Amino acid sequence: MKTALLVSLVSSLALAAPRPARDTADVGKQGDYSVGIFNPLRIAILDGVELEANPLVFFVAPNVNARFRVIGGPLRLTAEAGLSLPTFGMRLMKGFFFPTWATSKNDIGWMLIPRVGVLLSGTVLDNDVWTVRTDAAFRVPLGPNSATQLNSFVAPLDILLAAPLTGVCARAGGAYDHAFGDTFRLRGEANLFITGGQGNLNVDGASVGPIAPLSELIVTAHVGLDIAVFKQSRITVGVLWANYDQGQTTTVKGADGFSERVRVRSNNFLPTLDYIWAGF
Amino acid sequence: MKLRAAVFVAAASFAACEWVADPMSYTREEVPRFKAKTEHPAPLQNPTSLKVMAWNVKYGACRVDFWFDFWGDRVQLSSTEVNDCLSKIAALIREYDPDVLITEEIEVGSKRSAYVDMVQYLLENTNLKYGTFAATWDSRYVPSEGVGRINLGNAIHSRYPIVKAERIRQKDRTDQDPLTATFYLKRGIARAELDLGSGRTVAIYGVHTEAYDQDGTKQVQIKQLYDLAKTETMPFMMGGDFNELPPVCDERADAGTPESCEGKLRLTEFLDERASSKGTSFAQPPYTPSVMKPFYDDFTPYIPLSRYGVGEANQRRYFTHSVLGPDGKNDEGVSGTWNRTLDYLFIRKTDTWRDTDVIQEAGRMGITQDAIRLSDHAPVVGTWELR
Repeated sequence: MKTALLVSLVSSLALAAPRPARDTADVGKQGDYSVGIFNPLRIAILDGVELEANPLVFFVAPNVNARFRVIGGPLRLTAEAGLSLPTFGMRLMKGFFFPTWATSKNDIGWMLIPRVGVLLSGTVLDNDVWTVRTDAAFRVPLGPNSATQLNSFVAPLDILLAAPLTGVCARAGGAYDHAFGDTFRLRGEANLFITGGQGNLNVDGASVGPIAPLSELIVTAHVGLDIAVFKQSRITVGVLWANYDQGQTTTVKGADGFSERVRVRSNNFLPTLDYIWAGF
Repeated sequence: MKLRAAVFVAAASFAACEWVADPMSYTREEVPRFKAKTEHPAPLQNPTSLKVMAWNVKYGACRVDFWFDFWGDRVQLSSTEVNDCLSKIAALIREYDPDVLITEEIEVGSKRSAYVDMVQYLLENTNLKYGTFAATWDSRYVPSEGVGRINLGNAIHSRYPIVKAERIRQKDRTDQDPLTATFYLKRGIARAELDLGSGRTVAIYGVHTEAYDQDGTKQVQIKQLYDLAKTETMPFMMGGDFNELPPVCDERADAGTPESCEGKLRLTEFLDERASSKGTSFAQPPYTPSVMKPFYDDFTPYIPLSRYGVGEANQRRYFTHSVLGPDGKNDEGVSGTWNRTLDYLFIRKTDTWRDTDVIQEAGRMGITQDAIRLSDHAPVVGTWELR
């Protein structure tokens, strides 16, 4: 049985051509789609126009992102524009990542998060793709807000909530995607994120002073391996490293035996895993 | 030192990996010692007495009501709030001007207290030049109510050099699920050896036992404190928040018997207990003052039971705790005020105290700061006569 399954899996690996590189400026032909558990649902509604949404959180945090091919050919330029409404989803995290606010009217405010970005990609060798990108998301408040940035050790969550909680999150990054034969793709990506400041602490609609400042720079790098399965799908595994200020301190001992407490940036490593189903 | 620190920080910035929640897997270990960067007056050499203070400083929140207090729902303070509060706490400490200060619920990098290093703050803003910190709760992120990063513990500050500092682990609660227990604080005791000059060394213990257990953990922790004190070979002083009432009576005694607590000591229904807290993880567990009796039998308390007296009218001036501050009213409309004694100072049976008191409000012992607005605990003080 095990042998049969293995044979079935191996024989199902698409050997005709490598899978296309992911998260590039490439925009599919009308009807192309892909969706992962964590990766967004992406559908090309027209040639050169894609709509993208994250189905995992869509019903609690409606979100949509449109991608438009601006320049095609060997050097591709794509523009992105999106909008999300994260408040309801964030409110579901009250009691864990946010206060319950049981005795006051403080709450996570209603807000819209517009996002814009551009990606530039080029092909080298036969199937390798490089990409550089920049994007930014902003908070448009629709009411008072008492929630503050998480400063947790789960970098993707902090980055995801940076615009809703600090007002802005801008990114500049780059990636290189290399095909190893028809079955594997190795992808390396690095990003610099700049978030808004921690802001003021708002209690019952009034500021009680500034929240302690933390560095607004987040550095991430991701290495992932895509493994082609079946006709057009892939499994992706990888590791994400994030370096940012979470208020961590450490002590440094001096020659006199006394120590000094100093702030350091934190490092986080997270495994990444997804199954991405695609159709063309 | 600066260059070395800079190199270390640069390296640590790219190598710092830490526990999600430090399991505190130690039994007894040395902890770092700190000292002030600013100039401090030199202490009296070969002192014949030491002025001491123990104070639960409520992480520099003063009277901001937090969510687990049930009178408020704050989880975080602004930098302004913490700095304002700490400046008043430091001012009170400077006014009393102790030789030794024990603090509990002091933090050195918690999100809720604006990541302030309170140990260093007190070093720089009091006459206490040396300090140590024994962390009892060190989590990168507590995923409850958005608490986030927390680094809380007991500290000992001193005018005299601390030549050795350590922490001693206390027993953990057994009445929590594994996930809650992982992120919950891990009680420990701070111990520091002070060099008073001419080869004289004394030991100081800073303690803070469990507040919310329903499984008898606090009683076990208090017994552990007693055993430690009993086996201490140096002259010692143990102080802090025991989270227990004085042994005026025996809570196990039947009503009408001489040992009964009836009319002698309030055990339940304190004015600051909010009804909504009952049945939660932060409900006040039953007090068991009898566990404090060995301390009163075998050591010298800063306020003897004869002075503490019987009944609230006599005891009131020595109360050290109130969850509810003076600007808040309970559900019956009564303003918050000190309503029970949880904080103590003990020395050897053969040693003596003088000038002991609880600094409950402005004017007590000539202090102008109003302690009831600075924490949910009052500082307990005394002069320890050294033999």
